[in-house]
Amino acid sequence: MATVAEGVRKPPRRSFGESALPYLLSLPALLVCIGILVPFVTAVWYSLQRYNLAMPYLKGFIWFENYKILFTDTVFWHTVWVSLLYTVLTVGIELVLGLTIAMLLQRSSAFNNAMSIALMLPLMIAPAIAALMWKLMTNPNFGIFSYLLSLVGVTDFRWGSSPSSALFTVVLVDVWVYTPFMMVLLLAGLRGLPRQPFEAAELDGVPWTFVFFRITLPMLFPYILTAGLFRMLDAIQQFDIIYAMTQGGPGDTLMVFQVQAYLEFFTYTNVGRSAAILMVLWAITYFLSHQFIKYWLRLRERARGVA
Amino acid sequence: MSYLVLDGVAKRFGKDEVLKDASLSIEKNEMVAIFGPSGVGKTVLLRLISGVAPPDAGDIRVGGESVLGTSPEVRETGVAFQNFALYPHMNAFENIASPLRARGADEAEVKRKVQETGELLKIAHVLHHLPRQLSNGQKQRTALGRALVRRPKIILLDDPLRNVDAKLRYEMRLELPRLLKRFESTVLYVTQDYKEAMALGERVAVLFDGRFQQVDHPAAVYRSPRHVEIARLFGDPTINLYPIRPTKGEGGHEVTVLGQTLRLKGRAGLDRPCLIGIRPEDVHVEQEPSEGSFPVELDAVTPLNVRTVLFLRTKEREEVFATCSESRGERFGRDHRQVHARVDFEKALLFDEATGERLAA
Amino acid sequence: MHPAIRVVLLTLIGLFFLFPIVWVFLMSFQTNETILRIPPSLVFEPTLQNYTALISGRLETGAGVLELAFMQNLWNSFVLSFCSVALSLLLGVPAAYAFARFKFFGSEDIAFTLLSFRFAPALLVLLPLNLYFQDIGLNDTYIGLIWVYQLITLPLILWIVRGYFEDISPDIENAYRVDGHSWFSTFMKISIPLALPGIAAAALLSFIFAWNNFVFALILASADKQPVTVGALAFVTASGIQYGQIAAAVVLSILPTLALALYAQRYLVEGLSLGAVKG
Repeated sequence: MATVAEGVRKPPRRSFGESALPYLLSLPALLVCIGILVPFVTAVWYSLQRYNLAMPYLKGFIWFENYKILFTDTVFWHTVWVSLLYTVLTVGIELVLGLTIAMLLQRSSAFNNAMSIALMLPLMIAPAIAALMWKLMTNPNFGIFSYLLSLVGVTDFRWGSSPSSALFTVVLVDVWVYTPFMMVLLLAGLRGLPRQPFEAAELDGVPWTFVFFRITLPMLFPYILTAGLFRMLDAIQQFDIIYAMTQGGPGDTLMVFQVQAYLEFFTYTNVGRSAAILMVLWAITYFLSHQFIKYWLRLRERARGVA
Repeated sequence: MSYLVLDGVAKRFGKDEVLKDASLSIEKNEMVAIFGPSGVGKTVLLRLISGVAPPDAGDIRVGGESVLGTSPEVRETGVAFQNFALYPHMNAFENIASPLRARGADEAEVKRKVQETGELLKIAHVLHHLPRQLSNGQKQRTALGRALVRRPKIILLDDPLRNVDAKLRYEMRLELPRLLKRFESTVLYVTQDYKEAMALGERVAVLFDGRFQQVDHPAAVYRSPRHVEIARLFGDPTINLYPIRPTKGEGGHEVTVLGQTLRLKGRAGLDRPCLIGIRPEDVHVEQEPSEGSFPVELDAVTPLNVRTVLFLRTKEREEVFATCSESRGERFGRDHRQVHARVDFEKALLFDEATGERLAA
Repeated sequence: MHPAIRVVLLTLIGLFFLFPIVWVFLMSFQTNETILRIPPSLVFEPTLQNYTALISGRLETGAGVLELAFMQNLWNSFVLSFCSVALSLLLGVPAAYAFARFKFFGSEDIAFTLLSFRFAPALLVLLPLNLYFQDIGLNDTYIGLIWVYQLITLPLILWIVRGYFEDISPDIENAYRVDGHSWFSTFMKISIPLALPGIAAAALLSFIFAWNNFVFALILASADKQPVTVGALAFVTASGIQYGQIAAAVVLSILPTLALALYAQRYLVEGLSLGAVKG
């Protein structure tokens, strides 16, 4: 039996199979996603080109010309404005409404739990189909909501087909679909909060406004932030509801990023401009998604620590 | 040739060098207790031996052949994990049967062996239960059964009695050696309870600072620890330790400890600051003064079943622990009072204060 | 808060969120005449004619017979969602395990990138793909759509399941290896069964998301591969004023996800709360 000659002997490397294992396991998923990266790179390329499907002979590389045109174009700034307005309105209303519902259902009882499940149903409906449902209900001829409004004397409210109420209508549908998401996450957060501060406050007879603003809100903040960022990411990219409801109309009332890009592509066949619009949107979502993922991972760590 | 050999094993986690140079040789069918405070890498060591993790350096040999680079499933080890690590979705029977099934044993054999193991461990009546339906003691026996059922050549037990209640721990401490003897296996038993180590190990291997500091028979580790830290870890209450400054006198070194001057004959290395260690049982406490005794104050009397711990203070306010039998302890009452102590200095241990190494007698 | 206010508030909220579903459900059992009646009434003679028209695929109108492909849409939705989730599970569960158990070169960055796919604008990928699909022969196949649907289902499965794998004590897997089982058998017999609630939650959620997807199929699917979301919209254009049938089509397209959600509500909450609760 040979003894160890050198002071420290390096043990043999683990077998090839063992060290390659993580790569083997994740490779198929990676390959599928890399396939999806190809069109992404193409889109970046398109955004730097003059490229109109109707005029293929004009196709050519023009550096940042598409972006320059965009940023000096009031149509584009209108798109930015509508998208931001839509995002702020939907996320804001959904947060307030979601938090209210979550607080109403905070105590775990059979009724509250059943209610929270029932309230989740709109979230299970495809946003495009939800828009269709609301279209039926706001139809000027037989829509139940149009009828209800006429009962209180409002007969000229035209919901999605009037520029003055189109935004209100799509925001309403968005709120109907996505508030349940806020509710689920905030309810989980509320029920996971430690009880002691609330019990102490109750013993001291502290007014509920103080409890809400100084205890509940700060403790719930990580959940609010995560849920809010998640919804902002979806809202700034909203397509389904607006496209199904009004196709961005009437006129250009609801031309948000993706609807605008869609129409540029399919109606005006301006691939270069469409790609440039989407790149701007991508930059926004890239920033937001990094924020979201950061806070989300922190939240998850916390949840695991408690569990 | 030793059966299981750890040769200069090292393992680090990031910056944390848990094992630096751990070497240990274990004979076939020997039962060795690995003892050390928590966090010294006892569990890591078992993981290296079972093949769950590879060492950074060094070699592990079984029967003369290196097992490095082989996966856990081909090493013939049975492991009882400290947290039991039972499969929560399988009942106790299937948990214990797992090593047999891995080797493709036929159904009849599985049934027979699991039943046999279950009876041996007194859990035959709960084999159909899921882990979460078992008591802690039953879980621990199931984990043990899984480690033992296929009679592996090497059994690694990671503090198996840590998570069970005191009564069961005591019973198992008596039962385990008897049980393990029947299996003719080489057993490594990890524990951070020195009494358990002494009760269960034919030899005790003391691990800290990334190395095995002493590997010896239990009584030897207790009587002649090689390091002051070992002396401190073995013993309850802990050994009384006092710094001493030996001065050279006629016919040897003289030291003053607990107000007593004594002469140390023929001890080498006394030309530096030392620590003297006196086991509590070597301090004899009496009501009346006697030859060689000195007066001390009795501060507290704590009965511990068969023994009583006495907490004393000398005139110089030095603290001394002593033990005596319970019946003797009762006579001291519980009051604060003046008593007399006599120390068996012959049995005292001397350590180098700087290195902690024991100075040979 | 006063209990009465609470009850009133909850009733209002319940009405707002559930009334549209109930109303469309009721509409689907009415003829066009009763639907158009003013004032609307809750009392009507229920009829199944809307459903029979959809199921038979033939709609008799005053102007003639209209061919409806709605059942084909329903079938497409099922095929697309089911296959997308199945493929995502096949690809995503092993990858989730790799990300949970091994810290390998670039693992965090890769996992992060995969997740950020979920949040990138869909059209950014879809519009170029629309130009490609014909060239690579995927424009008229389920396979092309199922592949692109991975953008929705894969990140979700990857990240939810990863969390569940991380919660399994590695010692349980180690114990099984030491017992003498191979890595693969440990993965199949220990890791997968213990992460099963998470896998179920992720599969359920991604099935619903795939089913509800609209824009992917709108841009890439040929007419005979369209799912219900796109089909229902096309149906509105085609059938014009057949409101009863539209309502029935809506009911048929939302029924599967609603039923699934009610059946597996526990998993749904786990999945939807982004890992903030564990059941």
